[in-house]
Amino acid sequence: MNGPVGTSAERVDGPARVSGGYRYLGDIRLPDVLHAKLVTLDCARARIRSIDASAARRVPGVVQVLTAADLPQPVPRFGPQFRDRPVLAVAETKYHGEPVAAVAAETLAAAEDAARLIRVEYEELPAVCTIAAALAQGAPLVQDPALRLGDPLANTNVLQEHRYAWGDTETAASDLIVAGTYTFPMVTHFAIERHGCIAARDGDGITIWSTIQHPFWLQRTIAELLSLPLAKVRVVAPDPGGGFGGKQHAKYEPLVAFMAMRAGRPVRLILTLEETFQAVRRTSAQVRVRTGFRADGAITFREVDADYLLGAYADIADRLVSKGSYVSCGPYRIPAARIVARSILSHTLPSTAFRGFGAPQPLWASESNMDEAARALGIDPVELRLRNLARRGEQFIPGDTPADGAWEQTVRKAAELVGWGTPVPAGRGRGIAVGIKPGPTTGLSYATVRLLADGSVVMSSGTSDMGQGARTVYVQIAAEELGVPMDRITLLMGDTAVVCYDQQTSASRSTVLMGNAITYACREVQAQLRTMAARHCQVDESAIEVARGVVRLPDRQIPIGEFVRLGLGRLGGEVIGIGESRKEHVPGHPLSGSPVFFEFNCTAVDAEVDAETGDILLVRHVTVSDVGKAINPMQVRGQDEGAAIQGLGHTLMEQYILDESGRISNLGALDYRIPTSMDLPLQLCSDVVENADGPGPYGAKGMSEGALLCVAPAVAAAVTDATGAVIRDLPLTAERVWRALSTPAADSSPTATATAAADEQRRCADGT
Amino acid sequence: MQSFGYEHPEWLGQAVDLLRTHRPHARPLAGGTDLVNRLRDGTLRPHVVVDLKGIAELRPGITQADGRLWISATTVLADLVADERMRTHFPALVTAAGVVGPVQIRNRATLAGNICNASPAADTAPPLLVYRAQVIARGPAGTRSIPIDAFFLGPGKTTLARDELVTAIELPVRDRPVQAAFGRLTRRRGADLATVSVCVSVDGTGSTRIGYGAVGPRPLLATDDSGVLADPATDPATRTSLLARLARATSPVSDVRASQEYRRSMLLVLSQRVLRAAVIGEGEG
Repeated sequence: MNGPVGTSAERVDGPARVSGGYRYLGDIRLPDVLHAKLVTLDCARARIRSIDASAARRVPGVVQVLTAADLPQPVPRFGPQFRDRPVLAVAETKYHGEPVAAVAAETLAAAEDAARLIRVEYEELPAVCTIAAALAQGAPLVQDPALRLGDPLANTNVLQEHRYAWGDTETAASDLIVAGTYTFPMVTHFAIERHGCIAARDGDGITIWSTIQHPFWLQRTIAELLSLPLAKVRVVAPDPGGGFGGKQHAKYEPLVAFMAMRAGRPVRLILTLEETFQAVRRTSAQVRVRTGFRADGAITFREVDADYLLGAYADIADRLVSKGSYVSCGPYRIPAARIVARSILSHTLPSTAFRGFGAPQPLWASESNMDEAARALGIDPVELRLRNLARRGEQFIPGDTPADGAWEQTVRKAAELVGWGTPVPAGRGRGIAVGIKPGPTTGLSYATVRLLADGSVVMSSGTSDMGQGARTVYVQIAAEELGVPMDRITLLMGDTAVVCYDQQTSASRSTVLMGNAITYACREVQAQLRTMAARHCQVDESAIEVARGVVRLPDRQIPIGEFVRLGLGRLGGEVIGIGESRKEHVPGHPLSGSPVFFEFNCTAVDAEVDAETGDILLVRHVTVSDVGKAINPMQVRGQDEGAAIQGLGHTLMEQYILDESGRISNLGALDYRIPTSMDLPLQLCSDVVENADGPGPYGAKGMSEGALLCVAPAVAAAVTDATGAVIRDLPLTAERVWRALSTPAADSSPTATATAAADEQRRCADGT
Repeated sequence: MQSFGYEHPEWLGQAVDLLRTHRPHARPLAGGTDLVNRLRDGTLRPHVVVDLKGIAELRPGITQADGRLWISATTVLADLVADERMRTHFPALVTAAGVVGPVQIRNRATLAGNICNASPAADTAPPLLVYRAQVIARGPAGTRSIPIDAFFLGPGKTTLARDELVTAIELPVRDRPVQAAFGRLTRRRGADLATVSVCVSVDGTGSTRIGYGAVGPRPLLATDDSGVLADPATDPATRTSLLARLARATSPVSDVRASQEYRRSMLLVLSQRVLRAAVIGEGEG
């Protein structure tokens, strides 16, 4: 390849993004816009008795106070999986932060003042905020059974139960069984750009500007809620300033749309950071893993019971429960498996998609379980994984997409880069883990590529570039295929009135699915050029080849950019290519489709533990991903490093802390801490395996979530290696590690059959 | 943010008059790194904000006179950290000032603001206690000097009246700088509030002063004149039990940063580490 594919081409719009010049949602100023403020209650769950807005309405500049009573009745509900979320709370709030009313005013200050003056009389009700509380006998039901007609679980807080199984786990003969229960905390996305939206009547329709990741899905949601044709709903989606899954689906866009339609003026809502904390989080979980091993390390069976704690409304969380737990046995060859995953409703803020989409939770459990097993078996943790890892082409989940990479190469590379097997100084330890995540199971992406008369290109795509670098990758692909310099290509994105349909930007799909659509569009342009060349040069089409930027005639070759001028002739015009990339749904498949690819990562860390304080210092953090082909190696590295650091958040420090009544105690950046540049490992080393064996352009696979998947089990394994302490709850705060070190007996002994390991752990802990 | 009046007086007397006239609805503004957050989140809703940065008598600066370093109320932490005299005489305060927020905050935040905010976790408080700082305040009745240990009352509460202003913080300079060290525990290595903080000084007479932060409603001072802690030859068990006895004056709570139990234990770990650093410093000095 001579084009930009495979090079670390400069990021499209990069300078504007880092210099403050880029126009994000918050930079959009519409004339005549009203500013909105939400009204919430300071408790997890309450019965609303009355709302008195009289004082609020008297605040100068207040134009509208909207309560559920002002909405169409019954209050419209929406949601990507279940239509369970009301536009505003109806009669009862179900989580700390659920809005009961909203104010629109000429200034934000007036809206805030008025919001403060709204008197809500309410009665606080008992809330269920943990898995145990939600499942307890007689627990209050989070959702009204009337919303779940025909659902046998409607009278429980279990929204769905997902079961996957193969082989017979009961009869598998094992030399050792290792079991343990692990918990994964509630954490939030903390996109640097806060969530926001603007809505305005637009002729006989509506336009919504939003930080949304899925503009076309939002278009459908708004069209349904307002009973408008899709063609009358325009969604403008400036590139989000970070999304991580939190911006996939509608949150307050429906509310703001109703406000704008009612006001007849544009309405703008930008959430505060605290409000974003109350809008999106990762699904917390408690996962029990039980695995049988032969003495040689071969896995004989594995059982996973994963309880995921959703919020009050499902959002897309039940989907991530089904999809994340689907690979919860890991990338291993396992003869018998039984997986039961439950989506449990609670009076907490709705959880949603978050980088890793339900996989990091069971991987935390299953990979920690592997580490405990390795110790109990006396087998090296790297060796144990290599022994069980599915090899390329093996159907590790029977009947589904086989292992699509030489995954053992990834593991070996990570082990080598961390110095596995070399001596470790006292107080230090090493840990390793692997991560797997199914890629998209269905998809539909269209792209247009227009080669203009001067050889420059205008292309369009419905992907959202929220920092992952999709714009750059797409421009690289088109530049490669058409031989056009990248700076002569304009890529349009983020406007449903301008670009063609794309199902969504999620599951690390875009390089593969949209990348293919762009490649097909370029190929269509190439085919037209071939026809044009045959006509123009009076040569048979079969004697002409158009590829990678050149038109190859029997006697010469002409760069596409030059040829198109000749070919289009005096009238000029353009050559238009449309690409369609489609992954059909598979009836009867438990995920309604087989994964297009798997993301596979191996993370290895070298950590030092301060035995007196429990503080963990990461000396070296290695992350290796199988990416098929790195279209842009610098961006691949950026994604892997970013994912690794984000993973350090839930591993070391991040968690929502709820008080006994379900209020969030650490609401805001001061008390909810994420890693900063000062918290990076002393050495962060990312690398890739490239075998061009992916389904995307040039053999690319999706990537960008992989490096987050197994950070936690790798770090925890290193802590165990350094101190002997086994910790099964995240995050590994200094205080938690200190506790584990102070009470060595309490946290060890994974199973009765692994007592030797437990003794060993106790001894080590005492010795430090 | 609620709208408010903004005053930019040129003279100290005008500032005090403004505070008195609008009391209790006036708030002084120096760096604004605490005040502006509270204006934005609505926890403070003053009618008037009195900006101190234009006041002739309060121009930023550190001056040395009469055996004292005088740090004016508008002096930002970044300037304090960079000051050679501060680094020579009050290294533990420099260390503490250097971990307040990220550098952007230190370029705005003032030492006076850090103590007037009266957070029990204020990083500069333990070293100021240890170094025997005096807070100079000006009010309608004139100027008074408050020992720092008497300045803090509780979370967000100081002995200042609502029409009084801190004009400077004074530190006594010794011929031979007292050996001191500062340390803290945080939830992360990046900018953070202290979970616990400790400052220890050991002087030539064997007197040891320990300032504690984030272990009670206000920063605390403990002293030991027995010479036991200052003596590197003291056996570890004796040292530990004495440190534990001194720490009994603290009353840590459980909050989102840490449990009471962890704070109590870390107070000891940190005291030992910081004492060691201070004593080693003494040996080297």
